[in-house]
Amino acid sequence: MKDFEYFSASSLQEACSLISQYKDVGKVLAGGQSLITLLRQKLISPTCLIDIKGLKELDFIEFDKKSGLRIGALTTHRAIEKSPLIQEKYNVLSEMEKSVASVQTRNWGTIGGNLCSADPIGDPAPSLIALGAKIKLVSAKGERAVALEEFFTDYFTTIIEPDEILAEIQLPPPAANTAVEYMKFATIEAGIKIVSTSVAVTVEAGSDVCKDAKIVMSAVAPIPLITKKAAEMLKGKKLTDDLIEEAAKMAASETDPTTDVHASAEYRKEIVKVLVKRAIKKAFEKAKKA
Amino acid sequence: MNERSVVGKPLPRVDGKAKLTGRAKFTTDVVLPGMLHAKLLRSPLPHAKIRSIDTSKAEKLPGVMAVITGKDTWGIRYGFVDTPNYPAEERPIAEDKVRFIGETVAAVAAIDPDTAEDALDLIEVDYDPLPPIFDPEEAMKDGAPQIHGEITRNTSCAWEDWGVARKSHSYTPVNNVAARVLVTYGDVEKGFAEADYIREDRSRSPGTSHMAMEPHTMVASWDPFEQKLDVWMNHMAWELKRYWLHKTLDIPLPKIRIHKTYIGGAFGGKAPCFDYEVICAFLSRKLCKPIKIELTREEVFSSCRNSHRFDISIKTGVKKDGTIVAQHCNVIVDAGAYKCSAPVAMFLSHGMCDCCLDRKNVRHEGVAVYTNKNFNFARRGHGAPQMRLAADGQYDQICEDLGLDPVEFLTKNLRKKGDVIPNGDRLDSYGLPEAIKKSAEAIKWKEKRGKQRDKNRGVGIGINGMFSGSGYWPFACTAIIRLNHDGTITLIEGDCEFGQGPDTTYSQIAAEALGLTIEDVTLVSSDSELCPMNYSNFLSGGMFVGGGAVYNAAIDLREKLLKVASEVMRAKPEDIELKDKKAFLKSNPKRAYTFTEIQRYHIQKHLGDPLFGIGYKKAVPEIEFYPSLSKGTGRFTDAYGFTASTAEVEVDRETGRIRVLKIVVAEDSGYEINTAVCRGQLVSQAVQGMSDALFEEIMDDEGRVLNPNLVDYEIPRAFDVPEIEIIDCSDFEPKGPWGAKEIGECARAAVISAVVNAVYDATGVRVMRIPVTPERMFNALKAQEKK
Amino acid sequence: MDSSKKTINVKVNGEPYEVSIKPKMTLLQLLRNELGLTGTKQACMDNSCGACTVIVNKMAVKACSVLAMQVNGKEVTTVEGLASKDGKLSILQEAFLEHSAFQCGFCSPGKLMSSTAMLEELENPTEEDIRRDMEGNLCRCTGYVQYLEAIKEVVRQRKEGSK
Repeated sequence: MKDFEYFSASSLQEACSLISQYKDVGKVLAGGQSLITLLRQKLISPTCLIDIKGLKELDFIEFDKKSGLRIGALTTHRAIEKSPLIQEKYNVLSEMEKSVASVQTRNWGTIGGNLCSADPIGDPAPSLIALGAKIKLVSAKGERAVALEEFFTDYFTTIIEPDEILAEIQLPPPAANTAVEYMKFATIEAGIKIVSTSVAVTVEAGSDVCKDAKIVMSAVAPIPLITKKAAEMLKGKKLTDDLIEEAAKMAASETDPTTDVHASAEYRKEIVKVLVKRAIKKAFEKAKKA
Repeated sequence: MNERSVVGKPLPRVDGKAKLTGRAKFTTDVVLPGMLHAKLLRSPLPHAKIRSIDTSKAEKLPGVMAVITGKDTWGIRYGFVDTPNYPAEERPIAEDKVRFIGETVAAVAAIDPDTAEDALDLIEVDYDPLPPIFDPEEAMKDGAPQIHGEITRNTSCAWEDWGVARKSHSYTPVNNVAARVLVTYGDVEKGFAEADYIREDRSRSPGTSHMAMEPHTMVASWDPFEQKLDVWMNHMAWELKRYWLHKTLDIPLPKIRIHKTYIGGAFGGKAPCFDYEVICAFLSRKLCKPIKIELTREEVFSSCRNSHRFDISIKTGVKKDGTIVAQHCNVIVDAGAYKCSAPVAMFLSHGMCDCCLDRKNVRHEGVAVYTNKNFNFARRGHGAPQMRLAADGQYDQICEDLGLDPVEFLTKNLRKKGDVIPNGDRLDSYGLPEAIKKSAEAIKWKEKRGKQRDKNRGVGIGINGMFSGSGYWPFACTAIIRLNHDGTITLIEGDCEFGQGPDTTYSQIAAEALGLTIEDVTLVSSDSELCPMNYSNFLSGGMFVGGGAVYNAAIDLREKLLKVASEVMRAKPEDIELKDKKAFLKSNPKRAYTFTEIQRYHIQKHLGDPLFGIGYKKAVPEIEFYPSLSKGTGRFTDAYGFTASTAEVEVDRETGRIRVLKIVVAEDSGYEINTAVCRGQLVSQAVQGMSDALFEEIMDDEGRVLNPNLVDYEIPRAFDVPEIEIIDCSDFEPKGPWGAKEIGECARAAVISAVVNAVYDATGVRVMRIPVTPERMFNALKAQEKK
Repeated sequence: MDSSKKTINVKVNGEPYEVSIKPKMTLLQLLRNELGLTGTKQACMDNSCGACTVIVNKMAVKACSVLAMQVNGKEVTTVEGLASKDGKLSILQEAFLEHSAFQCGFCSPGKLMSSTAMLEELENPTEEDIRRDMEGNLCRCTGYVQYLEAIKEVVRQRKEGSK
C-alpha cells in the first residue's frame, strides 16, 4: 500500500470543504470495506484520504409516514439489517442485507460506501432502485437529489463529482398492494452472486392484475440493470404463469452479462430467466396479501 | 492393559489452550531483531527465455539490502522426486528460462515488505517469449514446444545418500513426458475376452488448491559466527526440509535447526521444497541477517503447489452378475512446469486404489506431462480421489446399464481380510465391507436409491483405501521417552502439528502404555535439534509410523520399569501393573512402589538411570528401499485405511444447482486413539470432498490463474455444510499403535464419488468432470432434454 | 518523530495505548506489528476469510480492512483478551476445547471473536443465526461441524443457567 495523507472530518461541512480542497488527489473513506483492498492491491493510490466514517450526522434511519424513509449514508449494513423499522416496513432491505458480504463487513461497511463503490455485483443498489430510491449528494457548493437508478454510469463509476459526498438515501413510503422480492443465485450460499434480482410488483387491490412492476438486476450489466420491457409486459395484465415466464425471458434478453470464473454470459441469462420468474411469482403472491 | 483409560477417548487437545488464546506461535508470528523482509518477482510470461535482468534501479532504492537473480543461485536443483532415473529439475530462481507464470525470477530483501515490493517494480527483465503449451495431450504431440532440455545429474540427488545402488544420470524429456508408469498383473486381454459387458469412460479432476489457512511463510536466520542457520517454516516434515536446505545450500545438516512452530494447515501442500525457502535461507546467509518471506494468498495459488489435474480413461469388463474381470486405466497427469510429485501421483492412483476391490486382471498406464503452468503436488489422497472418481463413477454406470445395485456390486467385488494383494501387501485389517454396509444403511439406500428422481433427489456411494505411510525416502521414525523424577514422562518425537493432532494422540499413546494420564506427559516435538529421526507426516503415515514409534518407546520404558520393579518388589514382571505413577502387585495393589522410588533404587544400586524408552518404526519393514514407481512392484504399505461414503443430494433442475442434504462417512481407521480428533479428520474430509465434487477448480487462461484468491476460489462456509454422519467401522490393525492406522486422507475421495453418483441418481445425468458446478449441471441437463 | 505519522489512542483488551503510526497502517498491522498481539491472523488480505476478526466497540470486524486511524478512541478486543489474565478460559474457549472445535488453529482466533460478538449480541441464537453469523469465517480444517457444536453448547448452557 502506498502512503497517503489522512484527514478525519468532524462534521459534514468540514468533510465537504476538505474534499473540495483535495478533490483531484483525494478519496473519501467511509467503512473502507472495498477501498482498503483496492489500496492494498494498488488498484488506486490516492495521496490523501478523507475519513467521514465518524460523522454521526450521516448515521441515522428515520421514517415519516408522508415522506418515507431516510437512511444516512454512513449507516452500516448491519444497522439496516437489524432495524426493526426496516424489518417492518421495508423487509426486503433487511433480507437483502443478510446477503451482503459477511457480518464483519456489514458491521463496519456503510450503505453509502457500498453505493459509491458501484460494484456491478453489489446487492443493495437493485433493491433500493426497486423501492424507488433517491439519493442526496452534497458538496461545499450545495446539494442535489438524484434518482438512484441514474447514479451509476459504468463499472465502478458513478455520476458523483470529485467534490461531492453521498449524504443520504431516501425511499418513498411503502406503496399499497406492493411487494418487493430479492433473490440471489450463487454457487455457494455466501458466494459471489452469479445473478441477483429485486422485483417490485403492485397489484390492483383484490385482483390478480399487475398495476405496476419494476425488475432490477445485478451482475448482468456494468451497472444495476432495470429490465423495462419485461416490466412493461406485466403492467395491466393478469399475472399468469405463462405471462410471468414470458416476462422473465424478456428480462434475460435485456441483459448483457459477461463471462467470468463464476459463470458464462449464456448461463447468466438462463439464470436470469429462472430467478426473475421466481421473484415475480413471490412478489406477486406477497403483493396480493399486502 | 485390557481396560484402556487414555486412548479411545475424546480428550481435549494438548495444543488447545495455546491455539485458543492466541499464544500458539505460527511461522508468521516469528519476529527477530533486525529482521529483513523479502519479496519475489514473478514471471508474467508462461514460457520465455530471459535475455537479461537489470536490478540496478532496485538496488538503489533506499531500504533495499539485496537483490538476487538466477545468476546467484545458478545450478541449485531440488525436487520431490529425485531418483536415479528422474533427477531433480526445480530451481529456486529461474536461470535462463521461465516455464510458468509466477515462476520466481528475482528476489529482493529490504527493511520492510512495502519497500521490497516497491523494489520489485524497479527490476527490469528482458524476456524473449517462447511458444507456450498448456494442455497435456497437446504437449505430448510431436512438434509441441519443449519445456525442458537436458536435465542433468545434479547436487540434490537425495536418494544416493540413502544407499541407492545406481548413480543418477542425465536425461532429456521427449515430447514433454516427465515420467511414465505401467503396472500390470493378471492377463488383461484374457479378462476382457471373458467379460460379458465392457464399458469405457473418461473423467477429469481439475487442479485444486490445498487452501491451508496460513499462507506459506518462512523465517531464516544465519549466524555467521557459528555458520549456522535457524529456521521457522511451514512444513509437514522438517526432516525433509532440513535435508533439502542442506543439499541446496551446502550447509552441514547439524548446522540447520528447524524450530517448532504450529503449522496453519497443510493437506499435502507444504511438504515439498519451495523456491522461497531456498531463497530465504540464501538471502539470510548472504546478508547475515534474519529474513522473513510471507507469501500472499495470490502467490500461494499461482506459485505454490496445487493438486494435479488428471484425465483418466478407464475400461472395465464385468460378468453379467457384476463380477469385475478386467480393468485398463489410462491416466494423464498434468505435471505443470516441473515434475515435482507427478510420477508419484500417477503411480499412487493405482497403488492406493488396488486394495479396495479385486479386479483380477489390471493394466494401469500413466503419463505425467510437462505444461507451462504452475506445478503440482499431493493433496489429501494424492492421486486416489481422481482415480476413484473415474472408477466409482463407472461402476455406478455399469450397475445402471446391467440393472445391478451399486452397493451389491461393490460388495461382490470386495477383497477379503487377510488377502495378499498382487504387490504383496496383506490386508490384516479390512473394514471396508462393514463400512459399505453401514454407510448404505445410514443413507437409507434401499428405500431411496433410484426412487426419488421425481423429487430430484438421489443417493450415491463411493469407496477408497489409503496407505498408512509408505516406503518412500527412509520413511521411519524414532521416539524417546524420559522418565522424570516425579514419575511423569517427557516424550520426545519429531512429528509436526499442522492440525491433525499428533501432539495429543501421541501423548495419549505413551500415557496409556505407562498407566499415566495425558497431563503426565510433557512433549518435545517438531524441532530438528531436539528430536530423533522423523519422516512420517505425509502419505498418512503419522499415526502408524510416528505413533508407532511412540508406542514402541513407551513399551520399551514399560518393560524397563517392570524389570527394575520386579527386582525391587521381588516379584515376576508379569505380576506387576503400572498405574498412577506406581508399580504394584496385581494380586495385592497395596504392595506398591512409586516410579520415583523405582528410579531412585536403580540409581543407588546400579550405574545410573536406565529408565528411558526408545522406540522406532519403519513404514514397511520388509522392504529395503522403495517400491518401483514406474512398475508398481514391491510392497506399498503395511496397513490400509478404508472408507465408504454415501451422500444424498437434491438438484434444482431449472438452475443446475446441487444441494447436498447428507453425507455419511463410514471409516476404518483402525482403533481410534482420540475419537474427537478422528471425527474432526472425517468431517473435514466430508466437507472438502463435497467441495471438490461441486465447487473447486483452479481456472486458468493461457497459463494465468484466474481465481487466485478466496473471493473467486470459493470453498464452503458454515452455511454450506450439510448433515454429516460419521460411522466408526474400525478394524483392529495388529501392527498399528493400539491397533490404529491412517485416518487423514482416505475419506475425501470416497465422498467425491458419493456426491457425483448421487447427482446421477437424482437426475439420470452423469457429469464426469468435476466440479459439477451449477452451470455444468445445467448444460448436462439441457443436453439430456435434447436427447 | 516522522512527520507523516499520526498519533492515536486506543484501548486494546482493556489496556490504553498511545501509538504513532503511518495512516496507511491497518488495524491488523497495528495489533500484530506495533502491539505484538500476534494472535490475530492474516490469511487472505482481501477481506474474505475472517482470520483477522477482532471486536471493535462490541462489533466483529475484519482487522485487515479497517484502518488503524479509524479505531482512534475506540475499544478493541482481540483473542488475547478473552481469557482472564490468571489463565481462566472464557466459556466459549472452554467449549472450543471440549468439542475439539479447531485443528490447525490458524483461523480459530477469528472464529472465537466472531462467535463471542454474536453471543453478546444474540441472547438465544438459532442454528440459522449461528451459521449465518459465522459465514465470514473460512475454515479449511474442521468442516465447521464441531465448531458450530461448541457455540451451540454455550447457548444451551446459557439457557440452562438462566432457568
